[in-house]
Amino acid sequence: MKKFLAVVMALAMVFSFAACGGKKGGHADNELYVGAIGAATGDYAVYGLAVKYGAEIAVDEINAAGGVNGMKIVFDFQDSQGDPESAKSAYGKLMDWGMDISIGTVMSGEMASVTAESANDDMFMISPSASNDTCISASSNAFRVCFYDSFQGTAAADYVKATLSGKKVAVFYQSDNDYSIGLYDAFKAQAAVNGTEIVAEQSFTSDEKDFTTQINTLADSKAEVVFLPIYAAEASMFLSQAKNGTDNAVFAEGVYFFGCDGLDGILEVVDNVSTANNVVMLTPFAASSTDADVVSFVEAYKAKTGGTVPNQFAADGYDAVYVIKAALEAMGVSKSSEVSGAKVAEAMTSLSYSGVTGDMTWTADGNTQKLATAVIYNDGVDTEFGK
Amino acid sequence: MKKKNYGNLFILFALTVFFAILGGMLYTGNIGRQFTNMLIPIFMYIVLAVSLNLVVGLLGELSLGHAGFMSAGLFTGCLVSIRLYGLVSDPLRFVISMLVGGLVAAVFGLIVGLPTLRLRGDYLAITTLACGEIIKTIITNLKITGGARGLDTGHVYSGAKTLFPYAVVLVYLTVIVMMHIKNSAQGRAIMAIRDNRIAAESIGINVTHYKLAVFVIAAFFAGAAGVLYGHCFANVKAASFDYNVSIEILVIVVLGGMGNIFGSIAAAVILRALPEMLRGFENYRMLIYAIVLIMVMVLSNNKKVQSFRYMVTGKLKKKLRERKAAKQAKKGGEMNG
Amino acid sequence: MTVFIRTLISGLNLGSIYALIALGYSMVYGIARMLNFAHGDIIMVGAYSGIVAVMSIGLPPIVGILLGVIVCALLGITIERLAYKPLRQAPSLSILITAIGVSYLLQNLALIIFGPEQKAYPMFSGVKSFQILGAKIDGITILTLAVTACIMIGLNLFINKTKIGKAMRAVSEDKGAAELMGISTDRTITVTFAIGSALAAIASAFYGATYVYILPTTGSMPGIKAFTAAVFGGIGSIPGAMLGGIVLGLIEQFAKQYISTLWSNAIVFGVLIIVLLVKPTGLMGKTIQEKV
Repeated sequence: MKKFLAVVMALAMVFSFAACGGKKGGHADNELYVGAIGAATGDYAVYGLAVKYGAEIAVDEINAAGGVNGMKIVFDFQDSQGDPESAKSAYGKLMDWGMDISIGTVMSGEMASVTAESANDDMFMISPSASNDTCISASSNAFRVCFYDSFQGTAAADYVKATLSGKKVAVFYQSDNDYSIGLYDAFKAQAAVNGTEIVAEQSFTSDEKDFTTQINTLADSKAEVVFLPIYAAEASMFLSQAKNGTDNAVFAEGVYFFGCDGLDGILEVVDNVSTANNVVMLTPFAASSTDADVVSFVEAYKAKTGGTVPNQFAADGYDAVYVIKAALEAMGVSKSSEVSGAKVAEAMTSLSYSGVTGDMTWTADGNTQKLATAVIYNDGVDTEFGK
Repeated sequence: MKKKNYGNLFILFALTVFFAILGGMLYTGNIGRQFTNMLIPIFMYIVLAVSLNLVVGLLGELSLGHAGFMSAGLFTGCLVSIRLYGLVSDPLRFVISMLVGGLVAAVFGLIVGLPTLRLRGDYLAITTLACGEIIKTIITNLKITGGARGLDTGHVYSGAKTLFPYAVVLVYLTVIVMMHIKNSAQGRAIMAIRDNRIAAESIGINVTHYKLAVFVIAAFFAGAAGVLYGHCFANVKAASFDYNVSIEILVIVVLGGMGNIFGSIAAAVILRALPEMLRGFENYRMLIYAIVLIMVMVLSNNKKVQSFRYMVTGKLKKKLRERKAAKQAKKGGEMNG
Repeated sequence: MTVFIRTLISGLNLGSIYALIALGYSMVYGIARMLNFAHGDIIMVGAYSGIVAVMSIGLPPIVGILLGVIVCALLGITIERLAYKPLRQAPSLSILITAIGVSYLLQNLALIIFGPEQKAYPMFSGVKSFQILGAKIDGITILTLAVTACIMIGLNLFINKTKIGKAMRAVSEDKGAAELMGISTDRTITVTFAIGSALAAIASAFYGATYVYILPTTGSMPGIKAFTAAVFGGIGSIPGAMLGGIVLGLIEQFAKQYISTLWSNAIVFGVLIIVLLVKPTGLMGKTIQEKV
């Protein structure tokens, strides 16, 4: 009996699922179904939710202004917890739903598998934030808004050479994170080319919260610049511990902490804005910018989330939706059933779009070309650095 | 003995029906994309759960390192598959890589099991957890497996339709081996160890030998399942197979019932499908999942629920028995007449 | 030499936090005979209550900690009543799975209530640090060590000398016999959970003071490390938990300093395995003679 019940339940579950298979285009032509996948729960929720909120703001703005060539955007963000397995199912769910076009996934690991799965679907994807070098290579219709890792690592090394020439550099990276390793490898290679001396390298894993030993070793090396190819949350832990309470810091006065777009939003996560003093960040997006588009985006984001300042991920999500709009408008597509991934991909290479993360153009491999500027933080105020 | 075999036949029959319907729907394109994408991972979890059930259910030892063995098999198997790509035909490549993955996992099982299996209970649990984490660290720090960036399995990536037959065969193999062990003399020896180790030892059962064999067999299947899993993703990272995955497999085994093959299969399907079915609930879905988990555990151990179940099954069994008796009586009557 | 002393101190600091968490873990295990996988998440709840009390309501830090202790003790009792008590007679694995369910539940509740962004834990700032043999030692480190030692001694006294403590030991030895002697098993186990959870709240204060940031998933890794520490020292043994935690912290820091930051995790677990192989019931665990 128990077995029988279990069979019935398992079968019912399986086939209720299986039965809800739909074909693409099961909705009106004046609606554009845009899908996205990322972590809304779990360890990576902070990134996924930022993209979600950013994209939702863009969708609301576009719909309020009359949509994309008259098509109203219907947006669906599916939770993946940052797990590729869940992301792949989520992609299937979105396909069943009738997704026309996608802003892909938030994390690189998810993007790789979803891209491979989508290769035969004629589905255009533009990921806001999947930065791993190879994660979009499986499909010719996959693009991204953010920099790719090795580009950014190289750019960081060049920037250090140009603005902090002759200083001793140390690196603190996360050994089990693809973003961190990608940046670190490229940085190291370019530093060797540039003749920049790396005096110490220390790593940590996602399981660690105690960086005391690493911080001490880095400080012992008398480094004047610490390269931090990590995310803001980990960087805030590193900086708080390096400050070591309130009475004295482990690092000497005037040491720079140099990071890339992962550090974005650090002011929002540190316990005290002075913790982020001397942090130099190479980024295409700065929430404090006086650019009119950025100001209105930041205001809208704050209104939506109850005062949170948007980070890089939110800005990328916002831009990704607008890039889709720009591409479809440039092509003159006004029926959602006529959206073709290959054609959008083709149009992308001649598109130039100016968004909150800068002026972008794209190459056929899906990578974006844009400028990054460096800012330095002091007591919660950022000013342009170098140059 | 006879009764047990009926149970086994029932499971095999149910599995065959299940696979036939599923396969039919898959190849005629009647399954939604979401479910198609879930198929291979669900099959992997079935294999992982059934094989872990061998250790936890039959042998009675708590292992929290199953994900580690799977991971070891996954990476070696996928590396072999990547090297063999284009050199041999696809079916041969899948079979070889799954075999290699399974064997490597089995070797890891042997290395881990040999010294640690003399530990018991929670001490064994923490040691296996530790071994799983060590395997994870090693793979993350190796160059050949792609390190933290993960192994790019993009060009051996295969869809559910390609992998389905291999997954079916692997599930069958796992289930049959498990059944065979459960119903053989060896299986009874293993269960004797579970129920009373000292008594088992005293009647001449070689405890270490059996424990190790079970551990190695379970690791083999975990590794082979891992290879399958690796092929349905374009990038696999060792960091994603940590102790949490081992715990998830354990949850499936316990929910399905200790030593219960069929329960493991059903629980794997239900538990893997549940978060997907709850997608509409967004933020609350993991919360609901947690509540369901607690409720199932509490209710299935509730006296009232149990007695209700016995009542229902008892009545049903009684009816079946009466019907059987009536049939036999009729048969007997006919023969006599 | 300075480097050695410095590593020793940072090891003691990390170890004392592991020890503090492991004490509660080990006590609950010793008496209720169950692995409370949700112990780490109770730490997270304690930390969030502290943050709410101090940041939102504006109470002084010490009151915030006390409030956390009360919240966690009540939470511990509630969890025990609702989730564990119905499973008193169930196989130990069922209880383990329920504890995992409770852990998921607490994490996801925290995620819904507090959101995924990390929150800073604003306490004890301004505790002085000292110089010892050229290495700096944090005031927090000394305070954590002292508190952990006091709690260990207190717990030991409580379990060995008081009436409730004796009841606890009786329940842990033999539930049936304890019941026959007029001890209420249920009440004793409830008290155990209340104390264990209160200890988790105290641990959360020191965790927050040392590592500053709190997330919904903050509890899971310290939970596993405390489990490791408790087993290392011999699970169920109170002094063992303290020793296990400190040894674990020392190994971790020395491995990072002198061997490699890449392999420190593997080294910690490797040492654990070796120790368990030599001493199968942990450093201070009792070897129980098995009988048929």
